[in-house]
Amino acid sequence: MKNRLRLLRAEREWTQADLAEKLGVSRQTVNAVETEKYEPSLGLAFKIAHLFGQKIEEIFSPDAKEGR
Amino acid sequence: MKQSIANIGWQDSKVLIAAFVWMMTFFVALFGLRQTEWAVGVKVLLALLPIVPFAFFLWHFVNSLGNMDELERKIHLEALVIAFPLMMLFLMTLGLMELAIDLNPDDWSYRQVWAFSPLFYFIGLVWARRRYL
Repeated sequence: MKNRLRLLRAEREWTQADLAEKLGVSRQTVNAVETEKYEPSLGLAFKIAHLFGQKIEEIFSPDAKEGR
Repeated sequence: MKQSIANIGWQDSKVLIAAFVWMMTFFVALFGLRQTEWAVGVKVLLALLPIVPFAFFLWHFVNSLGNMDELERKIHLEALVIAFPLMMLFLMTLGLMELAIDLNPDDWSYRQVWAFSPLFYFIGLVWARRRYL
């Protein structure tokens, strides 16, 4: 799963810690999502989408492999 | 923000303190049972002594899960997924080795073997953390 989280966060000039605070998760979790080591739960994905005012599919998209 | 995974918060401190007290009672019981000839009832009480602090440890540990975020819970779950089959394999192998050779009960009794389960859990934690962090 690919995501635009790092880009969206950078646009708002938030640190990972800032975003973690807003989402109620640890900074390591934000980092793991950004580096695509961890796919967030649906609940967290909704929180992220709501925070950035976008739809989930505008932030998260399947890998080319997953799309096949 | 949820507490940083790398840092130890108060909740984790309580878990560590409870684990320390539990381990201390285990060693006290072990020492007491080895050193002195007690009546059977006292021996049994000594042997059961670590159960009480373990119950406190477990209670704090389960409570600490509630303060973890979803990634940290996943890491602990994966640690269990690794530790459980490792422990199963270890016990199975020991059981078979017991038939093959004479295992010294001073080295391979329950009181030694149980300590491998937290070791395997720790290995699982390290592996899962490296995967995600």
